[in-house]
Amino acid sequence: MTALPAHILDEIRELPGKYPQPRSAVMPALDLAQEELGHLTPEAMTEVAAALELDPGYVEGVATFYSLFHLEPIGKHHFYVCTNLSCALRGANEIVDHVRQAIGVKEPDQVSADGMFSYEEVECLGACEFAPMMRFDHRYHYDLTPAKIDQLIAETKGAISPPRSPGRSAAKPPGGDAKTRIRQGSNQPQSSTAKSESPLPDPPQQVGRGKLSSPLPDPPQQVGRGKLSSPLPSPPQQVGRGKRSGPAPNKKADA
Amino acid sequence: MPELRGSYGEAPTNVLTRWFGTPDLHTLDVYESRAGGYAALRKALLDMAPADITNEVKTSGLRGRGGAGFATGTKWSFIKRDSPGPKYVVINADESEPGTSKDRYILENSPHMLVEGILIAAYAVGANQAWVYIRGEYDEPYRMLSAAIEEARAKGYVGPQPMGKDYPLDIRLYRGHGAYICGEETALLESLEGKRAQPRSRPPFPAVKGAWGRPTLLNNVETLVTVPWIINHGGAAYAKFGTEKSPGTRLMSVSGNVNKPGVYEVELGQTFRHVIMELAGGIARLGRRDRHGRPALHRPRRLPPAQVLRARVVWQMHAVPHRRRLGREDLRADPGQRGIAGRDRHSSACFGRPAERALSLRPWRLRRLGDRLDLPALS
Repeated sequence: MTALPAHILDEIRELPGKYPQPRSAVMPALDLAQEELGHLTPEAMTEVAAALELDPGYVEGVATFYSLFHLEPIGKHHFYVCTNLSCALRGANEIVDHVRQAIGVKEPDQVSADGMFSYEEVECLGACEFAPMMRFDHRYHYDLTPAKIDQLIAETKGAISPPRSPGRSAAKPPGGDAKTRIRQGSNQPQSSTAKSESPLPDPPQQVGRGKLSSPLPDPPQQVGRGKLSSPLPSPPQQVGRGKRSGPAPNKKADA
Repeated sequence: MPELRGSYGEAPTNVLTRWFGTPDLHTLDVYESRAGGYAALRKALLDMAPADITNEVKTSGLRGRGGAGFATGTKWSFIKRDSPGPKYVVINADESEPGTSKDRYILENSPHMLVEGILIAAYAVGANQAWVYIRGEYDEPYRMLSAAIEEARAKGYVGPQPMGKDYPLDIRLYRGHGAYICGEETALLESLEGKRAQPRSRPPFPAVKGAWGRPTLLNNVETLVTVPWIINHGGAAYAKFGTEKSPGTRLMSVSGNVNKPGVYEVELGQTFRHVIMELAGGIARLGRRDRHGRPALHRPRRLPPAQVLRARVVWQMHAVPHRRRLGREDLRADPGQRGIAGRDRHSSACFGRPAERALSLRPWRLRRLGDRLDLPALS
């Protein structure tokens, strides 16, 4: 029994041919493995190394260097919340507090009880004019408010309710976890994905292969735009804020 | 596309952003029919010798937009076009500097501009293959750019005979996976080769021994995006913008407590007052609580407000003394993902370059600003 399914390993074996030197395939290969498993286990890294005919220690060395490779389990949906300067000035710390509270974890990279969510604070994601912002399920979400976070979580839960839960109208039957994870990862706002031709508009591992049909079926920022009031479990503003008032100032930086 | 926050439209200095905001500009059809796209590629491939292209870029005075400001035409001429074996063009789209979002702005609005710029550069330096190293977090720009390349491939602009010229050109994408240091060019090359991104010592420079040990031209997204305009209008026309030593325009990301954060195209030589007070709509929220502090250049140096606003957006800012090398936020605990060493190494490498790339205003240090300057009334 291998950690990675055969078709992934086949795909990985084909990668080196796409680069001037085969070693360049290591990150795309790890990416494929991570998309499949959710995070990189030691066994998976060993198998990637074997498939690429590289030293396992080398592959692990690469994986540990880059922050987008997760070596510990994370939730099926991971919040990358920017807390760098521009976002911090516009209230990123409150957003982080709210995310933490909304998914019920205390620390970065802790996984919520249902296994769905986790978060981490990251450095600048390069969308500073939309601060505060975050990356979630391969999309950027802009001008965050606690209400938007709540709505996003509610929508995510609704769209991919765990297997066996009835009454879900979303497209795909919940099947192998990893697969659905990728799919829903890439076109997350199910409801608005009107014309996605393929179930996978863009698996990130298509490095240098590129047969992407259309750029983005739908604008990401519409998540949480419109009617913020409706399905929210909690009132938007007061949540998790008690102690701080006023605009953005960042306590730590102040001290 | 999300709403545009930044420059677009017909302002006289909108060299890059002239057509931004045009519906479907990211498609090849609109880029070609509305924005006059790929005319420069056609001109470069069919009417110009490679050396002419490089000379035109030299004439324009264009300097690398990644931060170091090295003369682009000169860099191109370092690549020996006739040397045997493959050569590469590598595009640095690993925009990670805090507060900087200009490359994302370009990629999401007009990815074909980059495709065109890459093709021209590759032809000029004698490369047949270009690699775009794009940061892993940039999902949307990655999708847009892949789609643009595929469109260009379908049309034959990327392929064995672009514009009917017998000169094969290819563009590939490579995604980063989260490492700030990859913005440094040799670290980027290491990463592209599938290694840990640790900067190389130089020499040899990438122009001699770059990606996969081959001569490599490494340029920033914004640099190459400027090239089609230069080919279309001539280097001399471009040099008319800006100042003598800092010609042209460039994109500046303004964020933080300003009224209209965005990516603005600024003619070099303009003052920060123009950028902050006019383009970005002035400083926001100068309320009771916020009146303690001053605006600050985010990195690498910080200045008192009056100096900031008087300072000009140019490459050399020798006249302006820097006070402290590292701000408090630079020393803030790093979440540990990237490692302090990498950050410090890079920031010291970029220390001394123009303080113009990213600008953030810090409300808790705005003391005396309101007294000293004529700030617009704020609600």
